[in-house]
Parts: sequence; structure tokens; C-alpha cells
Amino acid sequence: MVLALTRRSLGGIAVAALGSRFPALAAEDELLAGARREGQLVWYTTLVVGQIVRPLIERFEQKYPGVKVSFVAAPWQETALRIANEGRASQPRGDLFDGGITFYPLHAAGLVEPYVVRAAAGYPADFKDPGGLWTANIIQPSSPAVNTDAVRRADIPKTYEDLLHPRWKGRMAWPDTPSAGGPPGFIGNILMSMGQEPGMAFLEKLAKQQIANVPSNQRVVLDQNISGQYPLVLQIYNYHAAISAAQGAPVEWLKLDPTIVSFGSLSLVKNSPHPNAARLFVEFSLSEEGQGIYANAGYVPVHPNVPSKIPGLRPDDGKYAATILSPGLFNERQAEWTAIYRRLFT
Amino acid sequence: MSSPARNISEEPLGAAIPPLRWHVPVLAWLRRGWLGLTVAAIMAALVLPPVWTLLHASFSATQQDLSYGGFTLEHYRSLVQGRNLGNAALNSVIFALLATIVSLVFGGVLAWLVERTDVPLKGLAYVTTIISLGTPYILYVTAWLYLLGRAGPFNDLYRNWIDADAVPFNVNSLAGMVLIEGFLWSPLVFLMLSATFRAANAEMEEAARMSGASIAQTVWRISIRLAWPAILALALFVFIRNLESFEVPALVGMPGRVDVLTTEIYRSIKEMPPRLGYASAYSVVMLLMVAVLLFAYGRISRHAERYASITGKGYRPRPFRLGRARWLASGVILFNFLIVLVLPLCALLWVAFMPFMRPMRWSAVKFLTTKQFDAVLSSPHYLGLGVNTLIIAVCTATAAMVLTVLAGWLAARRQVAGSVIDQLVTVPLVFPGLVLGVALLELSLQSPVPLYGTIWLIMLAFVIRYMPYGMRYAYSGVLQIHPELEQAAAVSGATTGTTLRRVVVPLLWPAIASGWLFIFLICAKEMSLPLLLAGPDSQTISVAMFDLWSNGQGGEVAALGLIWAALMTLFASVFYAIMRRHAAKTFGH
Repeated sequence: MVLALTRRSLGGIAVAALGSRFPALAAEDELLAGARREGQLVWYTTLVVGQIVRPLIERFEQKYPGVKVSFVAAPWQETALRIANEGRASQPRGDLFDGGITFYPLHAAGLVEPYVVRAAAGYPADFKDPGGLWTANIIQPSSPAVNTDAVRRADIPKTYEDLLHPRWKGRMAWPDTPSAGGPPGFIGNILMSMGQEPGMAFLEKLAKQQIANVPSNQRVVLDQNISGQYPLVLQIYNYHAAISAAQGAPVEWLKLDPTIVSFGSLSLVKNSPHPNAARLFVEFSLSEEGQGIYANAGYVPVHPNVPSKIPGLRPDDGKYAATILSPGLFNERQAEWTAIYRRLFT
Repeated sequence: MSSPARNISEEPLGAAIPPLRWHVPVLAWLRRGWLGLTVAAIMAALVLPPVWTLLHASFSATQQDLSYGGFTLEHYRSLVQGRNLGNAALNSVIFALLATIVSLVFGGVLAWLVERTDVPLKGLAYVTTIISLGTPYILYVTAWLYLLGRAGPFNDLYRNWIDADAVPFNVNSLAGMVLIEGFLWSPLVFLMLSATFRAANAEMEEAARMSGASIAQTVWRISIRLAWPAILALALFVFIRNLESFEVPALVGMPGRVDVLTTEIYRSIKEMPPRLGYASAYSVVMLLMVAVLLFAYGRISRHAERYASITGKGYRPRPFRLGRARWLASGVILFNFLIVLVLPLCALLWVAFMPFMRPMRWSAVKFLTTKQFDAVLSSPHYLGLGVNTLIIAVCTATAAMVLTVLAGWLAARRQVAGSVIDQLVTVPLVFPGLVLGVALLELSLQSPVPLYGTIWLIMLAFVIRYMPYGMRYAYSGVLQIHPELEQAAAVSGATTGTTLRRVVVPLLWPAIASGWLFIFLICAKEMSLPLLLAGPDSQTISVAMFDLWSNGQGGEVAALGLIWAALMTLFASVFYAIMRRHAAKTFGH
């Protein structure tokens, strides 16, 4: 016991000595040693298992043998309810989680562990919390999309005002989700970019267009656009449209000025059973390599050095004006925007 | 029966002051009622903790950090003051009532034809039922939305041939909701009524025919009257189920702005933070309503033994000969096959073989791809999920049927604690999935037994959730068995256990088989509970399907769903064949 302690502290001294010359390297070594001791981590995820969760884990386990990653896949609500209940019972099982607004109820419950991610040092300031409570892992630009078989090129809307044209009455849809990627985000964008009063006037006119509220996610709404159910849809993710268009689907996403950009983020669970392994995995996910795996799966990565697979989806390389709707901003105003949605559009 | 008499005669005559022997009747009551009390205790242990969570949630304020806030009546107030309340309530009742009728007529006619007549193509009716029950809910609804939708083949055909700009059928309407919900539950009605008709006594029907009654008269005056308690119980059950369902009202009704009472609930639990209290308050109100309905039903069916068709007399039901009407009848079966199975299945196949959703057109055939199926078949991890799911479904169906056969018998025979049991078992019918899930999440985290995150927790949740269904099968089944058979067994010295094992259970086989099959198939596809309760090592197929679906892998979901439904159908068919052979020993057909 004494011997082991001494060896460990000697190791610590050695690492510290190294650390003075190669701080990042030393920290990574320390993290890795801790992760190996823990041997595993549990990731509560809202991402698509086959598309991104498994490829990411596969590469991680290859790179860091001896650290096994298991996951639980569920929508953000279930994920939040789970972590909240585990935390309240003082039995945290999950080590890290992702999602858009998953963070807020858990932060309110005091269940999020801050960690400043080194791999995200070069990320734009909008995409990370300075205190390390959350760091973006994917960018989600929400845009309208048209079915190019059903809509003539000249009729494609170019501004938000064009959505008020009588030809769209009863022929538009959007996802009925209470997120930044749903109607509340759209409403927030209009109010912030047009100003409160002109914005409300616009929204009241838009409400008369009778947009169908589809109780599902962005992708399902886009599928209904592609299948011809609704020729014009709002608030879908532009990368979904780009992927389908690349496969030959008659769809095109629109850059209306400004486009709403929200994002998903990663956070650590407080007092989780495998803190080092979780940190190692977050570092990996947000590194150039990890973000490359995201890009390859069709997501829009956050890392400035990693381009999206289909170019032009991010505001910087797509050259479009964007309203960046951080989870913090959204959380602050969502009650107000949701109320407007409920009052005008449902 | 004879024990009180014996007690009196054993009383020592002429004793000065007879000691107060209060424990004698209590002991006798306990001896008579031990089974009822045990079952009631088990049911209470299963059902009451989630009821407590439900009540607690309904009176607690919603908090940002997902905990329960202080006491509030806000949820009940917003129920009463809900906007558009009158209209929504009216829509709810119309929707629930009409959908119940669609299910009853569709499933009932089919069950009668298959079980009581010599109609051809009987196998097809079973195949239809099993496959449609095995198909995951969201896939089935999505398929119908696609078929009847604006870009679907029906509206498409109409536009191509008749009027290029018309949309003759709007699926996002009350009619669309009624049709889809009705189709969705007609297999339940079919399975339940086929068990009832199967055990129906043909003697009275034959007597009616001999006295010159037509088939229609016989069916109306004899067959339906005899099955009346079962039909009524079933109608009530389906009605309540429809009244509290929020999937079809949301998926079908919301885009067309048809609001029912549960639309608001759907929205409230999707909010951030989810307003579980509001959903709970609605369930509490439903709970009270169910109690009243069950009480009323109990009064109606008080003389249920009058309807019993399985008596001590020689018993061998014979099918009706339909004569020339056979072909008409087989048309009904074909129609059902087409509507309930072929059409939605075709839509799903189309989606599964397309790289993305598109209208059904010849011009799109060149895009057909097996990519989605390849993706499913080349992922070995689905195997582990499939095994988990099968274990859960088999164990749940078995446990639920064991419990509900006992419960159903105790309730139907008005044994000690019988009516309490009936109420307890029916309670989970009105739990919203998310509320039951949260209740079990909390309880399992506090439980000394390490249940959290295991498949056993999912099983427990399923047993609680699907007991009401098993109960309906068992209860209607017992009503058909005349108590004289059990009395005969008791007189011959059989204990309650022996009577149940040797008399009741063999006669109940058709009901037990149908109930087991129903619960098995529904567990194999249910999503909401595993999403909240599955741990890293207890993931199920439905979690994988939901993950794919909610992230827009529509084609892969359809492919996975179809493969899974095919496997379940195979499994269920083998099981059903074995059960029928088993039942044939008792019923001779």
C-alpha cells in the first residue's frame, strides 16, 4: 500500500515535471492514465446510433485500448429525466451527455460538472461556455426547404416576406418541437432581426398562412416535403436537405436573411463514476479527428479546421447571414417565444 | 360452502356462556379468501406506487430542474380552463366513440366469421391480425399518413385521373383519426372476440335455426346476445383506451388542427420542462371515470352466469354453414386483409426500398435500393437487442397472463377482494407511458434490489402497463364458463388450486392464448417505457427503432421494422399453432 502510494506520487511528480515542458501532452497522459484505471464510461446520447455514436466509439476504443464506451440512446427529455433522477438519488450512472436543451434542466438541478475542453481552444466563442459547462459538438442551421418538383424556380421565396404570398397558404409545414430548431427558434429569429413590433406584425400575418404543425422532428417534416405533402417547409436542418439532395431528392434548402443557427453540445455529469474516461472522450469528440468523424457522418462540425462533407452548410463557408441562437439565449427567452407560437400558430 | 353449517353443529350444546369466538369467522373468511387477498396484495404492490407518483405529480408545481415543486392545483385548474375545452371534449368523445365502433365492427365481424362459420381463408384473418399487431405503432401510423396523405397514392390517383388540383381526402381530420385508430385496435377486438365466439355454445344457435330463424336473426338474437357481456366490456375498454390515447390525435390530428383533450397533454409533456403534472391530472380524472364505468359495468353484468355457454352438458360448438354467403364472407376477410395489412405494408415496403420518401410512381422504380435492408442486416448489434426484446416480451406476457387469469377468475366469480382486484388491475390503463416510466425510474433508484437499468425493470413496467389487457381476456373468458363446473369439482373434493388447474385453465386456453399473444406482440414493439428505463446493457429493438425514426432514418426504420415484424410473426404463428392444438384437446376443434 505504502509502496503503491509512493509509486503513484512519484509518477505524479514525473508527469508534473514533464508537464512544465509539454503541458498539453502531460495532461493528456494523466487523463489517459485515469481513464485506463476507470476502464470504461457511459455516454447518454441523443445522437443517431448507427450514424455517429458507433463510429465515434469504434475509433475511440481503437485509439485508447482499455477504455470501453457504452451508451444509452434516448431523446433529450428522457435523457434529462434519467440523469436528474439518478443525480437526486445520488447514484449517477452516466458520465456525459449531449443534446440541445438537455443541459438547462440539469444545470438548474446542479448536476453538470464544468470542464474546459482543450481540444476546443480554437472554437469560436459563440460555441462554448467560458466556464466549460458545455461545448458545442455539432452546428444545426435551421432553414426553409422547397420541393423543386412542386415549386417553380421563380416562385422560390427569397426573403421572409415572400412566405406571406397567398400561394403558400395552407401549403407550409414545420415541426412542432419546442426547441431552437422549431417554431420558437423561428419566432425568436424574426423578433430579434426585424425588431419586436415589425416582427410581431410579420408573425401575425404569417399565422394567417395556416402552417401545419407536424408533431415530429425536422427530418420527418423534410421527408414530407420531399414526398410532396408540403411544397414548402420551415425549420428543417439544412444538412438533412443537402444529404437528400445529393442522393437525388428534389429538394433545396433556402438561405433567407438571417438563418437561425443553433447547436448541440457536450457536458459532463457531476460526481460521475468515470470522470477521467469521460473527459478523454469529450477531448476526442471535439478534436480534429473526432469532428472529422462527425463531418463524415453528414453532421456540420464545429471545429474551424474541419469542413462539412457537403460544403456551404456553415455560415462561414456558406457565406450566409446567421442569428446564432446559443442554448443560453434560447433558454432565457424560450418561454416567451413558445407562448407566441401557442397563441398565434396552434 | 358447508363449513358454516359444520361450525354451528360443532358448537357444544348447553355451554353456559359461549366464549366469544370472533376468530372463527375471520379464519373461515381467510381460508376462503386467501387467494383473493394474496392476489389483491400483489396487485396493490404493483399498481399503488405508480398511482402515488401520479397523484403526487398532479398536485406538484412544474420545476425548471425537473424536480417536484410545492403543492398546487394549477394542473387541475388548467384542465378545467383549457382553451377550446368544449370543442376539444366533444371531439374527444366523438373520436373515441367512432373509433371504438370501427374497431368493434371490423374486428367483431371478422372474429365471428372465423370462429363460428365455415368461411374460407380463415388463416388469412389470423395472419392479418398477427402481422399488424407485430408492426411498430409509429410505422403503422406513418404508413397510413403516407397512404392517405396529400402526396399519397389515393389522392395522387384522383389527381391523375379526375382533377389535377383536388385533394379529395384530407387525412389530417377527425375522419382520418377515427379510421386509423379504429384499424389500429381492430386486431385487439378480433383476438378477444374470437376467444369468446370460440367458446360459444352452438346449441342455442342451432335451436334457433331449426325453429326457422335466418342466419341474420340467429346472429342478432342469439350469438350477439350471448357474447353481450364480453362485447360490452370490450367496448368500454377500447373506448377508454381511445379517450386517453394521444399518439393518433397528435400525429394525425395536430397538423390539421383537430384538437382533442389529449392534444394539449401531448404538447405539455413535450415542453421544456415537461409538464408531467398536467398529464397526471388528466389521468387522475380518467381514473375516476374508469372507476365509475367499471362500477356501472359490474351492475350490468351481475347476472353474468346467465350468459355462460360452457356448461356441464356435452359441449361441442359447430360452425354455421353459410351456403352461398360464404363468398361474400370471404370477401370481408379479404377486404380486412387488404385494408389492415396489405396497404400499409406496401407503403412501408416502398419507403424501405427507396433512398428517401417519394410518391409512389412508376418513374421512381429506378431508384429502388436494398441499401436500407443491407444496413440493418449487416449490423450485428441488432441481434443482442432482439434477444433482450424477446426475453422481455415472453416473460412479460407469461407473468401478466398468470396474474390476470387469477385476477380475472376472482373478479368474475366475485370472490373475496374480487372487485377490488378488478379496479386495481384496470388502473394502469390510464397511465401515460412517460408518467409510469418516471414512477418506476424513481422507485427503482430507491429500491434495495438493483433493478435500475436492467431488463427486469422493463419487464416490471410492462407487466404493470399491460395487465389491464390480459385482464380483459381472462375476465371475459371466465364469464363464459358456468360456475357449475367448478362447483362440481369442489363437491368432488378438489381444492381451489386443483379446480383452477384442472377445470378453469383448460377451458380458458383460447382466452389465455389470445391474451398472451397480444401482450407478447405489443411488448415487442412498445417504445415509450424502454426509452426511459433501458440501461446500456438492456437496450431493446424498439429503442433502436425510435432512435432511427426520430433522427430521420425513415427508410432504415421501415426496413428494421419489417424484418422485426416478420420475425415476430413467425414466432407468434408457431406459438399460436401450438396453443390451438392444446385448446383443441378441450374444445375439439
